Amino acid sequence: MIYSHKSPALLIIGILMLMWGWLNNAGSLDGMQGWLHPGAYKEHKQAVEKHAADAKAAAEKAAAEGKPAPEAKPMKPSKFDGTKAEQAQLAYILGGLFAAVGVLVLVIPKKEGHLDYYAGVVPGMAFIVGIACAVRWILDPMFANWGKAAQPTLGWDFARIMNLNYIILGIVLGMIIVNVFRIPAWANNGVRTARLFLKTGVVLLGTLYSAAELAQLGALSVVMIGFFVLGSVWLVLLWGPRMGASNSMTGCSPSGVGVCGVSAAVAASPVVNAKAVDIAFTLGTILLWGVLCMFTFPTIGQLLGMGPVQFGAWAGTGILNSAQVAGAALAFDPHGIETLKVAEIFNITRVLFLPLIVVWLAAWYVKREVGAQKVDLGKVLVAKFPVFVIGFLFMFLLSTMGVFAPSGHYQGKYFAHEQVKEDKLLKEKDLAALQAMLPKVTKPEETKALQDLIANRKLTSREQDHVLKGVAKAAKDDKAVKDAIGNANKAAWHDSKIIRAFRDWIAWLFAIGLTGLGMQITVASIKQAGGKPLIIGSVVGTIKAIGSLIVVLLFVKEFV
Amino acid sequence: MSFIPETLLLAHHGTDGAKRAEAAAFACAVASRTRIVHLFVVPDFWAGMQGDDWLNNAWTRDAFAVHVERQLDAEATMEVDALAAHCMARGLTCNSLVRFGEPAECLLAVAREVQPDLVVIGPPRPKGTLGYRSRMDLEKLARGLTAPLLIAR
Repeated sequence: MIYSHKSPALLIIGILMLMWGWLNNAGSLDGMQGWLHPGAYKEHKQAVEKHAADAKAAAEKAAAEGKPAPEAKPMKPSKFDGTKAEQAQLAYILGGLFAAVGVLVLVIPKKEGHLDYYAGVVPGMAFIVGIACAVRWILDPMFANWGKAAQPTLGWDFARIMNLNYIILGIVLGMIIVNVFRIPAWANNGVRTARLFLKTGVVLLGTLYSAAELAQLGALSVVMIGFFVLGSVWLVLLWGPRMGASNSMTGCSPSGVGVCGVSAAVAASPVVNAKAVDIAFTLGTILLWGVLCMFTFPTIGQLLGMGPVQFGAWAGTGILNSAQVAGAALAFDPHGIETLKVAEIFNITRVLFLPLIVVWLAAWYVKREVGAQKVDLGKVLVAKFPVFVIGFLFMFLLSTMGVFAPSGHYQGKYFAHEQVKEDKLLKEKDLAALQAMLPKVTKPEETKALQDLIANRKLTSREQDHVLKGVAKAAKDDKAVKDAIGNANKAAWHDSKIIRAFRDWIAWLFAIGLTGLGMQITVASIKQAGGKPLIIGSVVGTIKAIGSLIVVLLFVKEFV
Repeated sequence: MSFIPETLLLAHHGTDGAKRAEAAAFACAVASRTRIVHLFVVPDFWAGMQGDDWLNNAWTRDAFAVHVERQLDAEATMEVDALAAHCMARGLTCNSLVRFGEPAECLLAVAREVQPDLVVIGPPRPKGTLGYRSRMDLEKLARGLTAPLLIAR
């Protein structure tokens, strides 16, 4: 089979990315970038003016003293410069790669084999990567600006409340492309590699956990998932036959409704011999619920003032479909990946439950259905085991052994020590902003955390850090308070460069992967939601979502 | 009725509406004169039915794809065999064609291929009736067909 298409599309994507990098480096896009990042651009302009004024003053002083003009010091790169440089670097690397492969695709003769397969896959990968870049670099800041601009008229920031950030926008754009325009033929094979990006993202996530964190989150997730997943499966198996659903329909639904959505239904359908109509109704129901949850969960989480651990635990348990768990977690917390870290532990726990649930369903089906073929349960367990989880554990092991960063990094070693240098302690203007915030906080723990921060000029515990993250979130548009808490957080955590890079890569991998997954959600498949699976899925899904929300709010502390 | 179709294209996939179309087709057909071309469409929404599955390995996805193909094949074979038997009982010749795609597009493509004298389809499924959400686009048919179209009631 020939996979590749003789299309210049990949070469064009590569050239466009190279041009983006070059134009950014040359400063030709400064006007547009300034419009996209008004805050950073304003600071940048002020820094440039200050730098020029300082240089002029130094030159005048030297002239007055009859000395030669001092050599002008280069300006420290601003946040605005950093944003442009980061985009240019990534655009050069990816653009160069895509352009080179794009030329090869056009030149190499079509012939069956590995080379043809890869030549058929890379254009689609470039397609989703290009869209993810456009969303993150252009649409995300654009919607943030529009949200703020519309706030005086609407009374609310629609982009913030509706979580219209690069994750949600990427998924939505993917869905628009597949449903309105259709995926171009040259990109079809590569778009399916979205799952590779996501799995790689999960594997790399393994580098971000401390052993204590993983143990505590793991235990919490086993309890929550154990209760809600097994409970949902049990409920469906109990209720399905009473509703008159066939064994195959009942057997197909619980995995999807209870475990990890589409992936679970795909894994379970063959072992319960699900009929085509059962599969269509069940998958349609799960996709419909998944998309609804992805939009509603982050907004509910914001309205309830949930923190990363609470929201991650809730999304990881309550959302039917696992792809939307990652989407909702990143939509809730797009610029840090604390929520994703929590949610993905829950996702991994769900996936580890999957082989057991499939075996349970197979045994249930064989017992109830006359003439059903017996299933080799051992073979099912091995075949359904999620191998990428081993990669996650391997990366966790490496990071625990200090391969990527000193172990102190994970514990936030600068909380208790007196090692924070004077220049890292909070400055007067930070303290003034925090003092002004003090009367506005209502919870006693927030008042105490703020008072302690003002007294010590630094964070002293992880609990305090977590509480203050909530304060920073509540501060909304008070930049001074956000900056002060951010500075205190930076001084305490001392992120390792490698770990920071991992965080960036993980965010990119999920952004690309979820954009690609968006291209696999068709309205035609969602429209198949119906029949008894829709009733069962809706009732059990609602019970699971509300039940897990109550449990999380009551029992899950923000700090783990 | 003076009009006797030599080739009658019947879109039929086992629903209640399709059964009405079958009855209408048999009413128009004449034994030993009319050839029924049975079109069974597997709707193209099945191409997206792995949805956003990302956790499974290739083995599991392949097992699912094979399972779905077998199920769809069994459904198609059952309908094709049943209609062929009904035609045989009435002395009508019957050719069956199974196509994958958007129903109206498949029907138009087959109509171009077999040049029918009459095309018979079932009525649109009443709202709220259970079944696949994959409807025949009547406007597309009206614009694209050159043969008369009979929609059974």
